Amino acid sequence: MAAPIVQLGVTGPVIPNYGAGSSSCVVHNHFFCADWVGHNWGPVLWPALRGHVVLTLVAVAIGFVISMTLALAAHRYRLLEQPTILVTTFLYTIPSLALFELLVAPVGANVYSAEIALVSYTLLILFRNILAGLREVPAEVMDAADGMGMTRTQSLLRVELPLALPAIVAGIRIAVVTTIALATIVYTIYDAGLGVPIHTALGEGPFKTELIAAGGLTVLLALVADGTLVLVQRLLTPWAQVQRS
Amino acid sequence: MKFNWEQEATMPSSTCRRRDHHQHRASGLSALLVVVLSIALAACGSSKSSSSSSAASTSVSTPAPAASGPGVGKPAVTIGDKNFSEENLLGALYAQALQAKGYKVTLKDNVGSSEIVYKALTAGQIDLYPEYTGVLLSAIAGQTRNPASAAGAYQQAQTFVQAHGLTLLKVTPFFDSNVLATLPSYASQHGLKSIADLKALGRSVKLGAPPEFATRFEGLPGIKQEYGVDPTFLPIAIELSYKALEGGQVNVQNVFTTDGQLVRGKFTLLADPKHVFGFQNVAPVVRRSVLAAEGPAFAETLNKVSSLLTIKAIQEMNAAVSIDKQTASSVARQFLHANGLV
Repeated sequence: MAAPIVQLGVTGPVIPNYGAGSSSCVVHNHFFCADWVGHNWGPVLWPALRGHVVLTLVAVAIGFVISMTLALAAHRYRLLEQPTILVTTFLYTIPSLALFELLVAPVGANVYSAEIALVSYTLLILFRNILAGLREVPAEVMDAADGMGMTRTQSLLRVELPLALPAIVAGIRIAVVTTIALATIVYTIYDAGLGVPIHTALGEGPFKTELIAAGGLTVLLALVADGTLVLVQRLLTPWAQVQRS
Repeated sequence: MKFNWEQEATMPSSTCRRRDHHQHRASGLSALLVVVLSIALAACGSSKSSSSSSAASTSVSTPAPAASGPGVGKPAVTIGDKNFSEENLLGALYAQALQAKGYKVTLKDNVGSSEIVYKALTAGQIDLYPEYTGVLLSAIAGQTRNPASAAGAYQQAQTFVQAHGLTLLKVTPFFDSNVLATLPSYASQHGLKSIADLKALGRSVKLGAPPEFATRFEGLPGIKQEYGVDPTFLPIAIELSYKALEGGQVNVQNVFTTDGQLVRGKFTLLADPKHVFGFQNVAPVVRRSVLAAEGPAFAETLNKVSSLLTIKAIQEMNAAVSIDKQTASSVARQFLHANGLV
């Protein structure tokens, strides 16, 4: 054993009784301890969940803006389609953990690296869906818009985008659920998201309660987000419901 | 996959095709679309602030600084720590002790591995972080030869960081290195006190450790070379170490000297007189410009905390975090409070 370098006084430090506040369920690592979840909702689980939602929202929002721009460009200039698909497919095939680590050197271990990686995985999904939606607009509808004297911008905003909406929302749904899943490994480079408590729980035995709580929250978040988007789509495209009934 | 997206994309819009075109509705819809877009953009814009505020609330685990003390009016400092619980504890201990002296401190938990957190320090993103002397030498300085003593390790690490505009403050009495643990019954049955005593058992002794133990000098190669011990090796994940030992899967298990389990259970630790496992005392690594700006009470406060961190103190704190599942910040507060530092 190494000799301590720092000279201590005759008495060592006072060591308080930390364990007093913990239930035996937690100390014995039973299957699920509701009391731990209650105590740690505020300090651990809620910030992680909130961080996860923010990571996802930012990634999908930025990804959506980029993909929409790219899709509109490719819709107008067909030549752009193949190169865009090539690049976004290439980004999509990079293993996520590797991409996070690769970004640390040029960007740093921070929220920017995390978002760049997450955004790059939404591009292929969103781009293809938006473009497919725009392409699906029937030629006769476009002719009608033309005949009414609409400009290109008018027919895009009033005819093509509304008609492409179901396809666009379908793309957003896939992008959101994918990003929620991917954001659980953001913890490797940035201290945010539900990956943090999952990682902590795995390192502690695993600590079952925390693992189930954090993992369960991730699944729940994906389900709620997907359900919300279905509702949003129904509200935005009432004609689709009329058709069905 | 590709095919799926296309299906998803085309199916809903084919329902649109069957619909009669209605221009008024469509213009209302495009207005809605613009709203959705702008909400998305707004979320994008505001998320900058909300993401930074959420990051702040998860990383700043301690309240406002004390109203009086030597730190009042000094520049704010940012403390980082690595991504495991003992580092989170050390980060919380140093941060809270400084806050009690009036310093304005932000604690960034889980910055990353040694390489990442050291880079953050030299780049000025953080002002200090707790580091292990042996890790500084092997992972950061790239040194391959083990120093002969704890003091030697500290000296070499100090020389290395000084050349990079940094200073190592005083080290903790505790050190967190590998150690071979066995059950007391097995130890007394075979008269085990030191790693050297395993030699007589030959390959009959089953030794468990994380997979990398097989190749690192602070592992099988080292104990073979220094003690002539050549056990049967079983790779065991770190979190399963104590289960493997208590369940009889292994006779001897490599654990860490500061593990909380060591104060909760009964284990015999084998001495390492030849220091194969190196020296891993902890000291805060600080940028020298920060030390100068914060005044002498800054280093004194940090040194006082380090001096209290005996092996028993850190084992008990680790047990409270990893076994009792208390938060690092709450355990740090209780320890500092009991010792009159907060």
